[in-house]
Amino acid sequence: MAPDADRRFRFGRAERSARPGETVLGALARGRWPSLARSVRYHRPRGPFCGVGTCTGCLVRINGIPNQRACRTIVRDGDRVETENAWPSPRWDLFGALDLMFPHGLDSVHGLRRPAWAIPLYQRVTRRLAGFGRPPTPASAAPAPPPTVRTAEVAIVGAGRSGRELAAALRGHGVRPLVLDRRPADVVRGEGERAPEGDLLGSVTVAILPSPASREGDGPRTGHQLLGFDDRGGGILVRARAVVLATGSYDAGLLFEGSDRPGVVTADLAVSDLELPWGETVVFGGGERARQVVEHRAGDVVAVVAPGEIAPDLARAAAERGVPLYPRSRLVRSVGRGHVRAVELARRDGGGRFRLGCRSVVLAHRRLPNAQLVFQAGGARRWADGPGAYFPTIDPVGRSDVAGVFAVGSVARPREEPASTADQVAAAILGGPTPAPGPAPAPVPGRPRAGEMVPYYRELLREPRRGKWVLCPCEDVLVDELEHAVARGYAGLELGMRYTGVGTGLCQGRYCLPEAIAILAGLGGVPPPEVGVVTQRPPLVPMPLGALAALEDAVAEADGP
Amino acid sequence: VTLARTAYRVVIVGGGVLGLYTAHHLHRAGVGPILVLDRGRLSAGGSGRNGGGIRQQWETRSTIRLARESVAAYRRFPSEFGHNVWFRQGGYLFLAESAPELERLARVREAARAEGLDVRLLGVPEIERLVEGIVPGACLGGSYLATDGTLYPYPVLWGLLEELRRVGVEVAYGVEATGVTRDDRGRLNGVLTSEGLRSTPAVVNAAGGWAGEFSRRCGLEAPNVATRHEIFATEPMKPFLDPMVVRVSDGLYFSQSMRGELVGGRTVAHRPGTDGGVPSSARFVTSMARALVGLLPRLAGLGVLRAWAGFYDDTPDGLPLIGEDPRLPGFVHANGFGGHGFMLAPSASRRVAGAVLGETTDLDPQEFAPGRFLTRGAAPRSERLQLG
Repeated sequence: MAPDADRRFRFGRAERSARPGETVLGALARGRWPSLARSVRYHRPRGPFCGVGTCTGCLVRINGIPNQRACRTIVRDGDRVETENAWPSPRWDLFGALDLMFPHGLDSVHGLRRPAWAIPLYQRVTRRLAGFGRPPTPASAAPAPPPTVRTAEVAIVGAGRSGRELAAALRGHGVRPLVLDRRPADVVRGEGERAPEGDLLGSVTVAILPSPASREGDGPRTGHQLLGFDDRGGGILVRARAVVLATGSYDAGLLFEGSDRPGVVTADLAVSDLELPWGETVVFGGGERARQVVEHRAGDVVAVVAPGEIAPDLARAAAERGVPLYPRSRLVRSVGRGHVRAVELARRDGGGRFRLGCRSVVLAHRRLPNAQLVFQAGGARRWADGPGAYFPTIDPVGRSDVAGVFAVGSVARPREEPASTADQVAAAILGGPTPAPGPAPAPVPGRPRAGEMVPYYRELLREPRRGKWVLCPCEDVLVDELEHAVARGYAGLELGMRYTGVGTGLCQGRYCLPEAIAILAGLGGVPPPEVGVVTQRPPLVPMPLGALAALEDAVAEADGP
Repeated sequence: VTLARTAYRVVIVGGGVLGLYTAHHLHRAGVGPILVLDRGRLSAGGSGRNGGGIRQQWETRSTIRLARESVAAYRRFPSEFGHNVWFRQGGYLFLAESAPELERLARVREAARAEGLDVRLLGVPEIERLVEGIVPGACLGGSYLATDGTLYPYPVLWGLLEELRRVGVEVAYGVEATGVTRDDRGRLNGVLTSEGLRSTPAVVNAAGGWAGEFSRRCGLEAPNVATRHEIFATEPMKPFLDPMVVRVSDGLYFSQSMRGELVGGRTVAHRPGTDGGVPSSARFVTSMARALVGLLPRLAGLGVLRAWAGFYDDTPDGLPLIGEDPRLPGFVHANGFGGHGFMLAPSASRRVAGAVLGETTDLDPQEFAPGRFLTRGAAPRSERLQLG
């Protein structure tokens, strides 16, 4: 136990302790890989995966409220934390037998309908197994705290580097922007430049940026509304003339057999300060992000595996630490009972297969923009071949195609494209003279292109499948189901999503839809943009009903009759 | 997209549940060749955006009759079309907050009983047993029918589409119908599409939220009004609620899906018309959340997972338009279902097919005939239980 851990909470029947400001996951992951829940359909083991509050790997029940993210919730004295969707425990779960009983998955579209008289029975059993946590207990519904309603000339979502730079530039123009961040305000302030008091709202998750077309009242239409919630479940409404998204990027998931196994994590989690027993770590990725992981987890990394070439900086960092490199390789499967014990790799250039023993696998092969709020607002998307992802359409001075919505930093454009300066963006926001938008920057040639995930997956899907290949870990959708959808004529992302449920889980598709696009492009033999997109539906992350309810009057007032 | 023929026996505009079901009935009656066209993609309209509620509690007896037949059809669906639609008969519970609302539900009960359905009026204790955690004083009473339920809409579309393709009915998505053509005597003889003119003696307007727009493009004044309606779904939970719950006063409705999500909506006034598209509004999600938490306070900590919207195809009297248009022989309506097309589709489409074939209808002409709006004065009947 850490000496300064003086917060007490209950985890199941055990008493645990946490440091001030520590998250539930931080406390539970000290020296062990916590097992907090089983997956929804096949009750497969789940562990922490994303570390940034989006996946379903660390959901727990806290004080009677289901599906709370252990990695986002700061421990308070007396909290009661319980595991979910497992009996008797996530480590030894009786329903885990379902995973073995249906080795090739369960077809809920055509199966479970014969004999007809048994349908109600199938429904009862299926319904019991579905869901995740139990409904909230009546006692969990404390009176909602009053909502926070703020008005600002400019609201910036995200107090990372780009957000802070822009805030400083705006202050230089005499405008005090309101900055919102998911981290507590003292953490944000401690990170670098001090944000003046009153201009920073910390511990706030912005979940909804409605499209201007959705507002039909007679209220002034010159601004935007941001809806969100704080860590006490209080509603937040910010009205601003201009909204700037500085929401950054995140590390993508990767499909392979057993990619949902505990111990397989994203680089976001690997560079966090969780005190997990990392053990021998295999890093997947050939660029800058993989280099960061190699440096951060220096003593643990035993191999760097990349789908393509390995960048010189990464090769140097690995060589300094004696870490072997495996370029041009596929991650075929993870091996282990529960937690990962080894990974099986295949050389893409026709070379052999090999196995690496490990206790963790870190995915650091590509970063994707957190652009969901721009898309919610109705902003257009553009496909960027480099990272192999959709970015919002942002002009050189930060404007999206929705009036009053801007984006800066890594959410706005791929790394290889030249960024606008904070000062240019500030000037554009304030409506000053703006430079004429230049031509779209050409991608820098010669870089490894993550758009090459299409051939990667095409090769990968030829591998024999022994166990389940879970494409969507939130809903336990197997890649076989997506292939099946295509074979039956439901081509494209939109129909594939409806046919399989891929992308409909709690992470809103952040860890499966980018992979599904690459896979569908490969299956159909078309470029990724032809696979189509799915509408970005609000909210960005599940937003508590209580927080939304508390905002009704403020929203109606802003909208007008 | 290319169309296989230049002439069809019937062209159905709209590849949603009504269009597909109508094509199915027509094919079964030996009609062909049939073309179903849709300017969008499968499940992009109301058929892919609804909450999947299937109920038989209505004020008008013909609607009850149609709904009852539809329930039977959806029960048969898995064996008939090979797709599991997860039709779960968990009942529909209407909540009344005042004496007039209770009387209204009592009339619904009488109408349903006359059609052989065992609608029961429930007191508060029974409602509290059905809806765990309902706030005390939430209602005075309600009506309940155990055989109502919810289904998963998409497999219905997949089952119908795959069956139609198997038997060779042409279904073309991404093809828009832009109007119809007439012969010298004013009879319909063709349909204009984005792929060119196709001759046909019969066009079925099953365009859902865009049905009024299509009628008007064909030169027919239409009473249909497209109204945006929004829904949200919460995070999934273990089952705790069996029936679909509908509150009479404000149209709040919600049920717990097979996946465990609470799915529901509420009537929020939106400007009519399809111009604005279907974005979700802050107004809806906040007012829906407040109504839901007001009724079930324990859910305050539960997260809303996703919100979406679609168009209701409303009519002034709340009843659909089924049958041939008296002004344009050959133009058959299958629209105006006011957000209840999915629940009436299997049986309503049978009457639509009958109208194409010139059969006499068993439906009350005052209630469904498309011509009822042509004469001045109020419609003689109306269906006001347009909730949920």
